[in-house]
Amino acid sequence: MAAIDSTVGSVLVASLLLPGLTMVSGALRAESAPEQGLIALKVAHYSDGQPGWERVTVRSPQLYALVPLAGDWSLEGAWVGDSVSGATPRMHTFESGATPSMEDYRKVADVKVTRYFSRAAISAGLTYSTEHDYTSRALGLEARLSSDDNNTTWSLGYGTARDLIDNTFSGGGVADQTKRTDEWMLGLTQVVTPNDIVQINLTRSLGRGYFNDPYKDFENRPDFRNTSIALFRWNHHLESLDTSVRSSYRAYADSFGVRSHTLGLELVKSFDRWTFTPGLRAYTQSAADFYFDPVVDASGAPSPVLTRRFANRLTDKHSADQRLAAFGAVTAGIKVAYAIDPQTQVDFKVENYRQRASLTWGSGGSPYLEPFSAISMQFGVARKF
Amino acid sequence: MASPCSITIDTRNEGAAQHAADLAVTEVRRIEHKYSRYQPDSIVSRINRDAVRAAVAVDEETAGLLDFAERLWQLSGGCFDISSGVLRRAWDFRSQQIPTAEVLRAALAGVGWSKLSWDGASIRFGEEGMEIDFGGIGKEYAADRAAHLLRQHGVENALVNLGGDIHALGPRGRDDGLIDPWTIAIRHPRKAEESVAHLPLHRGGLATSGDYERYFENDGRRYCHILDPRNGLPVTHWQSVSIVSANAVSAGALSTIAMLKADDALAWLEAQGASYLAVKHDGAVFSKGAPPSTGLTQPGTA
Repeated sequence: MAAIDSTVGSVLVASLLLPGLTMVSGALRAESAPEQGLIALKVAHYSDGQPGWERVTVRSPQLYALVPLAGDWSLEGAWVGDSVSGATPRMHTFESGATPSMEDYRKVADVKVTRYFSRAAISAGLTYSTEHDYTSRALGLEARLSSDDNNTTWSLGYGTARDLIDNTFSGGGVADQTKRTDEWMLGLTQVVTPNDIVQINLTRSLGRGYFNDPYKDFENRPDFRNTSIALFRWNHHLESLDTSVRSSYRAYADSFGVRSHTLGLELVKSFDRWTFTPGLRAYTQSAADFYFDPVVDASGAPSPVLTRRFANRLTDKHSADQRLAAFGAVTAGIKVAYAIDPQTQVDFKVENYRQRASLTWGSGGSPYLEPFSAISMQFGVARKF
Repeated sequence: MASPCSITIDTRNEGAAQHAADLAVTEVRRIEHKYSRYQPDSIVSRINRDAVRAAVAVDEETAGLLDFAERLWQLSGGCFDISSGVLRRAWDFRSQQIPTAEVLRAALAGVGWSKLSWDGASIRFGEEGMEIDFGGIGKEYAADRAAHLLRQHGVENALVNLGGDIHALGPRGRDDGLIDPWTIAIRHPRKAEESVAHLPLHRGGLATSGDYERYFENDGRRYCHILDPRNGLPVTHWQSVSIVSANAVSAGALSTIAMLKADDALAWLEAQGASYLAVKHDGAVFSKGAPPSTGLTQPGTA
């Protein structure tokens, strides 16, 4: 037998000559950041309305891209252009002829940079959003850390936003108002069994500044809004049906006095290249402390005139914005996705949202609230490169 | 395959992943059947039956495996020898008897790659009683081929595990964008319920050879199934050797050869530039590039 030098890697080199293996071998460096980029384009259509009135229609293209950079970094960017058109109610609901139709174009752009380590990742992101009367700048920082066995992940986040509200450009009365929000988030994700993952997220946000809706009459909200949110999620895989069940519960409370609960349930089921995700969400909220109901006339119907007179005499904090009333809502929807090939997916999602006082959990929906419903549809295509 | 085998894929497209996995499983079964000693129509059975009488021509895939086996025989200094399977006849693990010198000598007569002729196209045995088998290569090769098929069908985050011979095709995929290695627990060679280490594997092959897979104990000594073709005796120096490499087939070859090289193993592995975790007969752990405590592992070698 001739003397053979056992040079470095000679066994490995020999293995590369085996049929059909050359493509797989060759990983010489541990890589932790995403290796492929992703680009996704979604077009969404949203319209909501109340009985007899079509209110707001939003058409928005959204572009999202994820680009891996140089091994341990990635860059994500998203751009959303919303075209908002429609009327907005000045008070609880419509008064005839009270509001000019409003057209607006909103642009939002955000950029996030993530640095990956073997068990952790740190991200920093900036968001910029602008409409003709509203500008927002936000900065977010997030850190994630996983345990050695990867079953536990902690995440910690901080975000801060500065908003500028000014609608004098279009003849409004709000000039140069600012709002500042600081938010902290703590999260824990735990793999409990091979078929179960649970997640808990706690968020605390402190906001100071101008909270009134500039297009509503009789607005006098507090100049601060502090919120606390707890979110629980549980993903369970049902082996027998080869289906994933995703359930969630979110509890919300803020210093306006609004308390809300959200229960969500989603199923994910795949057949060959198709994936179906039907979902249901139930929501209930209590009214803000300073929300006031419409005043009724002798016949028992809400009267805008009497309500205005009543509101005029209010000196303390008050608001007639029905988004701060007590109501419940149900969202039902389905998303259908098709994988054209392993790199490309198209999906379509449709959701129906219905909000009314009668859907409030327990008793106590705000009186004389007009029912509100919205349909949103979204079509998207995503490609890995 | 006599051991539990699995393919794990992290994906957002379940349908596409299932399709790819089905193809990979079919490929593993094809290789298992083609190179099985127990299937009378397999190429290995045909060679073992006919090569002593006349040269047996083989297909391209088998030729590649025989070339690889020959190269391993050269690089290992004769330790790794796919004709050593006949020693099985001498070591009967069921009866737990130590063979006599006579029985061992008889079996050794048929062992030795130099006693057969392989010209790159056909193989011929030079002695009676010779046999080849791909025991140290076949399962690892199947794991690599399965990974290759998965990749061809667009899968990027998967782990193929054929009874401990592992090929990781890209790290785990996660919803939140974090990229994670697969975590492989290396079984403790003496305590079946425990691990001697957890090795993170981003991509590449991992294989372990151990003296605990099949063995019997006699008079306080352990006799395992890894038999040295030079003297017919089971190896005793290492309890187990795990190798991380760019693919499973090289990891498996390196780990088997290390077991056979006894106290020359570490020097040989260092010369190969391999990442290893080796547990000696007294329980002492040696590692390079694959530390028992978790950390970044460099799979493969330059």
